[in-house]
Amino acid sequence: MHPLRVPLGGAPRVVRPPCGSDKMAGQPLGQMALRGVWQLQKLIVSYSDWGGSSRGIRAFMELHLPAFKEKNPQLEVVDELIRGQHPHLKGFYRNKNQRTICVKNMDPEEILLHATRLRNALGRKVVKLKTRHVTKHPSVQGTWTTDVKF
Amino acid sequence: MANRRCLHTLSRRAWTLFSTNTSIPSLRTLLSLPIQPNKPIASQFGRGVTTRCPHPRYFSSNSESEDVSEDDDDEDYDEEMDDSGEDESVGNSSASGLKREYSPEEREAEAAAIGYKVVGPLERSDRVFKPYEAVFAVVQIGSHQFKVSNGDCIFTERLKFCEVNEKLILNKVLLIGSSTQTIIGRPIVPEAAVHAVVEEHALDAKVIIFKKKRRKNYRRTKGHRQELTKLRITDIQGVEKPEKIVTAKPTKAAEKKPEKVPVTA
Repeated sequence: MHPLRVPLGGAPRVVRPPCGSDKMAGQPLGQMALRGVWQLQKLIVSYSDWGGSSRGIRAFMELHLPAFKEKNPQLEVVDELIRGQHPHLKGFYRNKNQRTICVKNMDPEEILLHATRLRNALGRKVVKLKTRHVTKHPSVQGTWTTDVKF
Repeated sequence: MANRRCLHTLSRRAWTLFSTNTSIPSLRTLLSLPIQPNKPIASQFGRGVTTRCPHPRYFSSNSESEDVSEDDDDEDYDEEMDDSGEDESVGNSSASGLKREYSPEEREAEAAAIGYKVVGPLERSDRVFKPYEAVFAVVQIGSHQFKVSNGDCIFTERLKFCEVNEKLILNKVLLIGSSTQTIIGRPIVPEAAVHAVVEEHALDAKVIIFKKKRRKNYRRTKGHRQELTKLRITDIQGVEKPEKIVTAKPTKAAEKKPEKVPVTA
């Protein structure tokens, strides 16, 4: 069915607003996440070369980590050897937030999933959402009140 | 009912025997055969034939209930077997379905069914983050509808076929409006498009599902984290956008703003 067009007032000239934000300029090459910027800056992969709980992450480092590094050139991935401790992934975000995920006794595929989740996330604190729609301009045609006459 | 069934079989077999002109068998052999009486035949044989079927339990007063209950038990057992089998198959299919490889056509089709279309990755040269325009649209993603404007953020259910930092076009637009014009879709506006960029795929905070039945020693705790996608709306197309008034500082109020006339439903 044809949509219902309701013209209001005269036909205004369409003026193209000034486009673009200058946030793109000077940003590191590669893709962007929050308004054009990836939020995960650094990923530390901590593992042990002896312990059995690090078996999965050692396999991950052989199988999936090179491809993960290539897919995310903007991300700084660092290997760290920690003996006598369980392995974990540490993510450092642009808003100075840090997220640690313990990956002991996990399969390489699960560790890849967790690493991808760290990369996909913004560094914001994980709290229950108040609203699913965040806006600064809630009304375009004017907020309705009981006094509005149509 | 069972008695009638017995008689029915008996009389039918008897009828076949008589029609073939064999020697009339003894009553015992007659009765041992499965019978299927028609009503007139039953009435003929009813007087002479004792209603004794091979399965004596059919004669008990509780025969019907027993039969029914046994049949029901059998049916339930079969149903349970079937259900468990189906559940296993469904479980297996869902477990394998999570890692299912989608062909590009399937991806597009499923994405279009939900209401969005992946355009491509965001390039560095794209200038998509524009300042605010006084245009809004009501867009549907999956089963949820949102009233969006330029620069808004939306949290939807996890969109499967797009990565972070990819451009999307949401094509299920139900209503578009600006300060001068409103277009109502029936049910969607066909030439409208809402552009968005995927900002993040993240997990919501954990909610704990706690079940308890008091005084029954039953308590269950389950944690759940919903997977969400955050979209940032960059552009709304398909409606006449209002004229942007650029006034130089010394001159004031030269142009009249177009009047806001809301639409009657």
